[in-house]
Amino acid sequence: MKTSLLAADARTKKRNAAEARFKAYGFAAIIVAMLALLILLTSVLGNGMSSFRQTYIALDVALPEEKLDKSGVRDLSVMSKVTTIGYAPILRNALLDALAAQGIETELSNKDIGNMISKEAAATVRNKVLANPDLVGQTVSFDVLASGRIDGYFKGRVTMESAALDGNTSPEALMIAQALADAGVMETKFNWNFFIWPDASDQRPEAAGLGVAILGSLYMMIVVLVLALPIGVASSIYLEEFAPKNRWTDLIEVNISNLAAVPSIVYGILGLAIFINFMEFNQSSPLVGGLVLTLMTLPTIIISTRAALKSVPPSIRDAALGVGASKMQSVFHHVLPLAAPGILTGTIIGLAQALGETAPLLLIGMVAFVREYPAAYTPESGLFGEASTALPVQVFNWTQRSDPAFVERASGAIITLLVFLLIMNAVAIYLRRRFERRW
Amino acid sequence: MEDMYHADRAMSTQQDIKIKADKVQVYYADNHAIKDVDVEIADKTVTAFIGPSGCGKSTFLRCLNRMNDTIDICRVEGDITIDGEDIYDPKVDPVQLRAKVGMVFQKPNPFPKSIYDNVAYGPKIHGLARNKAELDEIVEKSLRKAALWNEAKDRLTAPGTGLSGGQQQRLCIARAIATAPEVLLMDEPCSALDPIATAQVEELIDELRQSYSVVIVTHSMQQAARVSQKTAFFHLGNLVEYDDTDKIFTNPEDSRTESYISGRIG
Repeated sequence: MKTSLLAADARTKKRNAAEARFKAYGFAAIIVAMLALLILLTSVLGNGMSSFRQTYIALDVALPEEKLDKSGVRDLSVMSKVTTIGYAPILRNALLDALAAQGIETELSNKDIGNMISKEAAATVRNKVLANPDLVGQTVSFDVLASGRIDGYFKGRVTMESAALDGNTSPEALMIAQALADAGVMETKFNWNFFIWPDASDQRPEAAGLGVAILGSLYMMIVVLVLALPIGVASSIYLEEFAPKNRWTDLIEVNISNLAAVPSIVYGILGLAIFINFMEFNQSSPLVGGLVLTLMTLPTIIISTRAALKSVPPSIRDAALGVGASKMQSVFHHVLPLAAPGILTGTIIGLAQALGETAPLLLIGMVAFVREYPAAYTPESGLFGEASTALPVQVFNWTQRSDPAFVERASGAIITLLVFLLIMNAVAIYLRRRFERRW
Repeated sequence: MEDMYHADRAMSTQQDIKIKADKVQVYYADNHAIKDVDVEIADKTVTAFIGPSGCGKSTFLRCLNRMNDTIDICRVEGDITIDGEDIYDPKVDPVQLRAKVGMVFQKPNPFPKSIYDNVAYGPKIHGLARNKAELDEIVEKSLRKAALWNEAKDRLTAPGTGLSGGQQQRLCIARAIATAPEVLLMDEPCSALDPIATAQVEELIDELRQSYSVVIVTHSMQQAARVSQKTAFFHLGNLVEYDDTDKIFTNPEDSRTESYISGRIG
């Protein structure tokens, strides 16, 4: 039968229709994924961007000697007997003075006005005074934290209606805050302290920061990198290039693949049993966290390293052996440099995975509330042995708290975590591009 | 041209024996790939291995510098001696052997490094040069011998992978002769090259005969006839016939050789 090329026959039409359908499914899947990503990002960014800004009150604080230093000779042991409870009225008076200076009148009690200042502010001022006793007797300008509710008002979280039902603030306080802001005394500005301060208690969301969590995560990443990269790369090189191919190596290979799929919480149980119960390392220390994450990251690194080594063409190995290089020389001079981009990418992806891991850290006690920079975070003592927390755990912690201000903090922490992950992935891509060689 | 070859051949047959193989068997697991191969390869001669695909000629070639060691399932029996020394003796380090027996592969496989580093790598790891000047000299000498110096001298730091196919193969030859080997094994060195590059490499092989014993595996009978003095014909793992190239191509003794050469099998 003679057919024309100009008319598609039934078979061709069917094939083309199938292809068009398949493309449409793929396109739809991508649209759904993009929408999901968009919703995620909008919600996280919408909730969290405000955590990078914070409301401060600029106060000229008179530091009276008779209250802060009864000895009169700047004796620190006497001065430190004055607690934050002693500093709070001083700050309140400073705020009242500021109100008077701006001509703002209010029916609020002095106590309620004092509540507009964060409880953390007294501690901040006290620390500054103890660090520099000469300040006593002078009038010093401080940028002190406003309370969480006032801060929330400027970020839109607290409204006049919600304040009317709130025991911790009142519409009048918000009106004063607005007046102070109009006068330039109160200002909402970028908040570096979010990345510096440690966590704060339930009552002081405005003072909670990621400092200890970032440091803890950093230390854990150092432990993971220092342990997992050499061990993982060395074992992959051995398995891929040197080990005889027999039943044992097959078994090891299968098990490594399985380990990569083991739920991370299992590694937490393992870490709890080995590192804390048996080896008696400190609970919730970055050392233990890093060791657990190392165990978790190793299979990822080994698998990607082996894949990278496998992808180096055998002709390169032949060439090296052919000029009389030993096995080890051929691996280290030729194969490894060619596999390096793949190894680096795998390692960074493994690290990124470890950075975002929460479950195993909960089991080894890193969920603890860490209020202070651990003493050991000074270079003189061991860096890795003290209780710490980590970024994802900090998110977990904050989402459990009742004050809505912590929702904002948690979202801010998530954004920070995502930025770190993005940076790491960008570095991975850059390194791959930079070191990729053609052959 | 033809006369010169005849003259050369007459001379070459009087050369010393460089490599001697006696009852060589090679197994890939249970597959008997090389059966009872006896061959004597003369010094300062080009010896060609011809035969249909899968006949074992490359396998046998790779036995001569123990490249088959890298294949786990491969097993070699029988004796192969170079200058009377058994290369499969447990005391022999294959690394030293391979410095003595250079190899050029089917596909040009320069290292993804500069032209200079490609050639200098072998001398470096074998400690053949005491200083940079000596190394420079070795590199230049090797590149000159491989007829690549004029093309490459201005771009020694350019990557070796950026050369054309024929240049890459000559670079690989330069790399192989930089370690001052005594034997040069070539596994179908021209199969990935165009006719012009092939002609250059063949010319080079003929020159290399002055200094080395060259063993070349080839699919092209014309090539074997052009470059070699001795030819061995392999078929199904057996060495069917081994004689002067002239004799193999004009008056073969075995009917299988004749069939292959005339294109009836292969």
